[in-house]
Amino acid sequence: MTPGRSVENALLAGPLVLFLLAVLGFPTVLSLVYGFSETGFQTLTAPQFSGLKNFRDATADPTFWQAAWFSLRFGAITALLQCGLGLALAVYLAPLARAHGWTVAILIIPMIVAPAMMGLMYRLVLHEFAGPVPHYLYSWFGWSPSFLGPANVFKTVVVAETLQWTPFAFLLFLTACQSIPQDLREAAAVDGTRPWRLFWKIELPLMMPTVFVALFIRFIDGFRVFDNIYTLVGAGPGGSTTSISIYIYESFLRRGEIGKALAAAILLFATAFVLLSVAQRLLRGRAP
Amino acid sequence: MAQLRIENLTKRFSGQIVTRDVSLVVDDGAFCVFVGPSGCGKSTLLRLIAGLESADSGRIFVDGRDVTDAPAYDRDLAMVFQTYALYPHMSVRDNIAFALRTAKRPEPEVAAKVAEAARILQLEPWLDRKPATLSGGQRQRVAIGRAIVKAPKLFLFDEPLSNLDADLRVHMRVEIARLHKNLGATIIYVTHDQVEAMTLATKIVVLRDGRIEQMGSPLQLYDDPDTVFVAGFIGSPKMNFLTARLQGGYLMLSECDGQKIRCPEPGLALAEGAGVTVGLRPQVLGRTGDQSLEVTVEIVEHFGSDSLVHARPAGSARLLTALVDNGRELAPGQKLEARFRTEDLLFFDQAGQRIR
Repeated sequence: MTPGRSVENALLAGPLVLFLLAVLGFPTVLSLVYGFSETGFQTLTAPQFSGLKNFRDATADPTFWQAAWFSLRFGAITALLQCGLGLALAVYLAPLARAHGWTVAILIIPMIVAPAMMGLMYRLVLHEFAGPVPHYLYSWFGWSPSFLGPANVFKTVVVAETLQWTPFAFLLFLTACQSIPQDLREAAAVDGTRPWRLFWKIELPLMMPTVFVALFIRFIDGFRVFDNIYTLVGAGPGGSTTSISIYIYESFLRRGEIGKALAAAILLFATAFVLLSVAQRLLRGRAP
Repeated sequence: MAQLRIENLTKRFSGQIVTRDVSLVVDDGAFCVFVGPSGCGKSTLLRLIAGLESADSGRIFVDGRDVTDAPAYDRDLAMVFQTYALYPHMSVRDNIAFALRTAKRPEPEVAAKVAEAARILQLEPWLDRKPATLSGGQRQRVAIGRAIVKAPKLFLFDEPLSNLDADLRVHMRVEIARLHKNLGATIIYVTHDQVEAMTLATKIVVLRDGRIEQMGSPLQLYDDPDTVFVAGFIGSPKMNFLTARLQGGYLMLSECDGQKIRCPEPGLALAEGAGVTVGLRPQVLGRTGDQSLEVTVEIVEHFGSDSLVHARPAGSARLLTALVDNGRELAPGQKLEARFRTEDLLFFDQAGQRIR
């Protein structure tokens, strides 16, 4: 590269770098500073360096581990459910979607709703006294599960998340399914391949890269879940739906444990970073 | 192997008829080529036989069994696609073995058949490669290998050579001809290239606008075409056509400054003054014959062994071509008599039908 060009590059990239530093770098530095300091809302301007104390506090807190476990389970289960359902729908509905493109628009409606609104909606719909779902279950069957009670709340939030985000996986898989050349299916059919074997031997292997990407995106999204659960049940009965994001929010804004919350956030960030890099390496390894 | 019989097959795509009342029989062991210009419905006809399209009416029989409504996977055919359609995630070996494994054949048999196909098609060095790493000709051979291991009732080829370069096309054409001889299989082959049709086929079906224009052996179609379309389509270089009017035992050429051609004895069964299209193959124009046309040479293409002469009859907007084996001294601008024999002429009426 000539010196003239590198100056040009620096000039052109400079504003973007500055902008990113301002919006991403500043909060990161601030988080790191507070994460390693003794601080509260009263002493925000004068943080006292306290080393790893916040991290010790966070990791010694059983609620933190409960939240981490919740996030992990929630992310894994919802990702698997969404991808499984999305894949089945995509393969099953691909011919319909090819013939009538508008049907896809109907199927992806849930994605358009803000997750926080979704949580509020379910709160109304499933409310033990005012919600239509328990009401009709009672009047038709004389019984209704307590959707938001301690026994069922995990299932309820998993189902809510799955219903909202399966369309996302569906859309990814539909695109992948439609990008498989039609003549491969035809060649397989002439080779005597029935639809079920066609799916397992031709379509699924060719969609595998998308399956990994979808699982990964959905897991990350489930792992850091906040808004729909928070508006639906808050931290949940006995903290049973406290995700790691909700844990951070509650310790920061409810309990004022700024250092501990930021330490947890840094841990979350580090975990996500490690997971992302590992997954990316795996994906790259699989690429032909 | 098998006989294929098609009866009154019709197919429409959104109201437009692409296969129009087609009936034909392909005998056991025949090499049948569907040929025609693009859009003539030849590929659709092949896909109907394969079960990749469903017929609107008519029946398809393979070895007497009615397969018209059978799904593609239940017809026991093999097809080689224009795009090859190899499974990209499988090795060459697995591609070839796929149909056998689908049929749940024992693995030792699968291995033996794959090895045999690889030997015939000289694919042994590439068995563990993925299709993406192969050249066009190799992919083509894998596609053929995938078809032959099944030992199917019918082989279907959909323009299999059109994505290959000229040299390889000639080479693969010979390979396919040899394969047909060795396997004795019934083959249905679609192409728009009449040279492929002429060289490979035992039977050619010329299609036009979804209808069968004419069918027969290659030389039958060449020597004795039923219509102007077949006459113009079969044969290379293309047949010359002159428009004329019947007048007192002569054909007055409308564009050639009053030149005329004598009618053959006992004359044409047409009314005086009727329009006629005269067909002359480039191979029959030359220096001998009982009739002639005055022409001016415009372009000469020397192939070495012979020469293709493009010459303009006086007053004509169209060039005549003549394939002559002694044309080395011919030069543009030269005036000469292009001679031909009356019995080599073909005559067509205004509807394009042959007058015999």
